[in-house]
Amino acid sequence: MNVAVMKSKAEQALTEAFEAVAAKLPGSAAVKARRAEAIGAFGSLGLPHRRIEEWKYTDLRANLKEALPPAIHDETPLTIAELIVALGPLAHVDAYRVTFVNGRHRAALDDISEASGLDVATLGKTLASAPSNVADALTKSDANGAIAALNAAFMTDGAIVRVADKATLAKPLLVVFVRAGSGKHSVTVRNFVSIGKNATATIIEAHVVLPGAAADAQSNALTEVTVGKAATLHHAKVAVDEGRCVHLADWDVSLDADATYRGFQFSTGLGLARNEINVLYTGRGGKLDLSGAYMARGNEHIDTTLVVDHAVPACESRELFKGVLDGHGRGIFQGKIIVQPDAQKTDGKQMSQALMLSEDAEFDSKPELEIFADDVVCGHGATSAELDPDMLFYCRSRGIPESEARALMIESFIGEAIDKVEHPEVRAALMAFAKNWLAGSTRG
Amino acid sequence: MLEIKNLHVKLEDGDRVILKGLSLTVPKGEVHAIMGPNGSGKSTLAYVLAGRDGYEVTEGDILWNGESILDMEPDERAAKGVFLAFQYPMEIPGVAGLTFLRTALNSVRKKRGETELTTPAFMKIVKEKGQKLNINVDMLKRPVNVGFSGGEKKRSEILQMALLEPTLCVLDETDSGLDIDALRVVAEGVNALRDKDRAFLVITHYQRLLNYIVPDKVHVLADGRIQKTGGKELALELEKSGYADYTGKAA
Repeated sequence: MNVAVMKSKAEQALTEAFEAVAAKLPGSAAVKARRAEAIGAFGSLGLPHRRIEEWKYTDLRANLKEALPPAIHDETPLTIAELIVALGPLAHVDAYRVTFVNGRHRAALDDISEASGLDVATLGKTLASAPSNVADALTKSDANGAIAALNAAFMTDGAIVRVADKATLAKPLLVVFVRAGSGKHSVTVRNFVSIGKNATATIIEAHVVLPGAAADAQSNALTEVTVGKAATLHHAKVAVDEGRCVHLADWDVSLDADATYRGFQFSTGLGLARNEINVLYTGRGGKLDLSGAYMARGNEHIDTTLVVDHAVPACESRELFKGVLDGHGRGIFQGKIIVQPDAQKTDGKQMSQALMLSEDAEFDSKPELEIFADDVVCGHGATSAELDPDMLFYCRSRGIPESEARALMIESFIGEAIDKVEHPEVRAALMAFAKNWLAGSTRG
Repeated sequence: MLEIKNLHVKLEDGDRVILKGLSLTVPKGEVHAIMGPNGSGKSTLAYVLAGRDGYEVTEGDILWNGESILDMEPDERAAKGVFLAFQYPMEIPGVAGLTFLRTALNSVRKKRGETELTTPAFMKIVKEKGQKLNINVDMLKRPVNVGFSGGEKKRSEILQMALLEPTLCVLDETDSGLDIDALRVVAEGVNALRDKDRAFLVITHYQRLLNYIVPDKVHVLADGRIQKTGGKELALELEKSGYADYTGKAA
């Protein structure tokens, strides 16, 4: 079906915004040329809408009412004390740190001087001097589509992280994106993570907000991850905002032979979120454990969309995603597992669960298995349930007040996903975020 | 003292009336057994005492130490000393037994005007009381009742009872699903709690449990009412002749 559609207000604004800021965006001539191509591609694609199967439940064309102006050369001041406030429970994680404020690197808030085996560059500077081949690498991504095109057109900064072969990082690396100041704007960032052969690292990508920042905000964050042979990466994303932020995020992960990747995503307070994760195995023996926890209330909408591509034999994938939905909160889980014809001995299991705290909450789950090999073990499941009244009564009959009994059961539900995070301080921080969310629940 | 006065209870959904004027008094320090055929209202009585949703009291009252408990939430009743040992204890995946016990104990202590226990103080008590019931700390690190055998679940109920120190203990079919060894451990746990300030209501279908927990009085419940009250020998009589006399009378 080829229907000419009128551009929505937001689509129009995005194209115009690019014209307005193109000259100020960081980049060599080669990068500028790629950005112009990207906005051209976006112009013909438009914002994804419900008639595109992958966007059936998250109609951006309908839901993104306006496009906020991009933050460029932002200089909103941020002190260390404010950074700690913005980080909330994550401030208790002893970690190396790279900090970005409104999409711009702030070296003064970094803490990576002691890190051995770790090399961190910033995208903004790299773009500025990128020759043609580098510009290609920095602007292309496995995720083809309108959101990735917007990311290439508007990206201002991000972390380029390399962990050396055989290195084991002494501490996790925290890559922080802080939203601050009263200006309403959009922030576009892109990270590159490359883990060398036999190396081990924990990396946390945090999107947080300083209290008092504008209520409305938009962010587009793309992270490309390559895990080398027999390397291990523990990777967590924490996106915590105050209820109105639009968060469009994408992780593109490739795993070399015998690599282990443990990814986790935690989301609360996001007005409209699309978290995409694409995983490709490029060598035998890759192990993937992907999980996440999200909590939504009000009219918040959190979409997790995964594609795990078993392109080679003998790889393992595990997914566990859990959502708590209150008010008119909506959770979406789409999980596609592809097992290519050669990918014999694939072992894949997927589970998606939602706990519904309100009659008006909605959960849509769409598992998809595309299996072209015959010697595989694959399974998936999805559940949605309310708090069990019998369990609540049992707790209350032991003297536990109703609000506490509810919190105990919700924590236990979400905790099962958070337990997948192996780093104890990170796990404790995530549990603290979940408890904070519960404490602010109107049903508490 | 527990005083149940002319209690009429129906299910909230529909018209089914289950208790039809049940009256019963259990003084402190006594153990009373309630025996009756299936469907006589035994479990309903237990749930209404504990304050479960889904039942409507249309007439009558329940007084505990002279105070009506009908308008109290289940957790308030627990703080007042009411404890129900469930026939089918719930499994709570994801909540460690120790967390559950500590939350319950501290909630009850707070409401009773006592200070909350520190972790070491709590652990000391749990270890001590658990030992008597063959429940070790490793078992309590697991989620509440998950993967427990029938006997383990019942022992865990008695441990909760021992920790919360209730003054009115209602045991709903505590013997169901227990082999003789498990029954003995559970009964010993209960007997250890017998005290001049504590009242027990032991609900059972079979006389067997009453060999181990010897009651002061036995009441026969059929068709929503107490049909007969007697001493412990009444249980033996019922074991021999069955409930036919009472169900017949009811019909």
